[in-house]
Amino acid sequence: MSKDYQLRAAINQKLIEMGERERLKELLRAKLVECGWKDQLKAHCKDVIREKGLDHVTVEDLVTEVTPKGRALVPDSVKKELLQRIRAFLVQHAAM
Amino acid sequence: MKMEEVSMSSLDNSKLEALAQDILSDLVEDACLGLCFEVHRAVKQGYFFLDDTDQESMRDFEIVDQPGLDVFGQVFNQWKNKECVCPNCSRSIAASRFAPHLEKCLGMGRNSSRIANRRIVTGNNTNNKSESDQEDNDDVNDNDWSYGAEKKAKKRKSDKNPNSPRRSKSFKHKSSTASKVSQDSEAHAPPKDSYTAPARPVGMMGPRRRMDNQESPRMLMKDETFSQ
Repeated sequence: MSKDYQLRAAINQKLIEMGERERLKELLRAKLVECGWKDQLKAHCKDVIREKGLDHVTVEDLVTEVTPKGRALVPDSVKKELLQRIRAFLVQHAAM
Repeated sequence: MKMEEVSMSSLDNSKLEALAQDILSDLVEDACLGLCFEVHRAVKQGYFFLDDTDQESMRDFEIVDQPGLDVFGQVFNQWKNKECVCPNCSRSIAASRFAPHLEKCLGMGRNSSRIANRRIVTGNNTNNKSESDQEDNDDVNDNDWSYGAEKKAKKRKSDKNPNSPRRSKSFKHKSSTASKVSQDSEAHAPPKDSYTAPARPVGMMGPRRRMDNQESPRMLMKDETFSQ
């Protein structure tokens, strides 16, 4: 519904305006590096590249190969923590 | 504000949860994309495979995981029992005792009392004060127990700060500092009833009084305590 959509848009805008989205992004990056997700995925990238040939790899190739695996590999603890923070922000700023 | 225009009744838990999940999913996708771009650039610039060296070097520098060895394969206390020759006294000293021995031997450590030792060695005939002043000026600050230099340093200090509670630096040299302490206390402390210079009740131990108790070990006089 358009109300929903408006709400989402408004919240996203607020996230960006307050800098919270950047902070969340940095937090997520740091956690993913810490837990070894980045290294795992990089190893997977190496396989893809060796398969496709070093000279012919394109960004699209990598994206299509890597993104689904990347989503699946995020550990639950990281997800939980991020969700907690997002929820806290929503509760605080969605003016319940 | 903008948020209030949108109907708040639509905000219930499941929607909130779904929203949070969507936001998370966006963030994760951002992270993945970021990684893809990074890797792609590394591939095109040619530095992606840089950390893969040839098999032989990788085997050479592999982490060692045996008991008794560190990660480089070195033995832990290999040099513990070796003996070193001291350049000063030409004695053979065990490695673990070498550093403290050098301190004492060269007279450069904290408690090595080089000036005292020199005096003992050269005898008390020569003029001690001038020697200790000129030659060992750099040692004056290092040596806590140096007798001659401390007198001079003490005189300067007591001029600077007559009101500080801490009068005497070291408690070892009783005879030299005790008289000084009693002088100061009479000049600056507020006069108390029971206090005459020599007579102090043994029970009262202020920071300044310690010296005097040793000097005049009198028994407690009843008049003095109760006259307060």
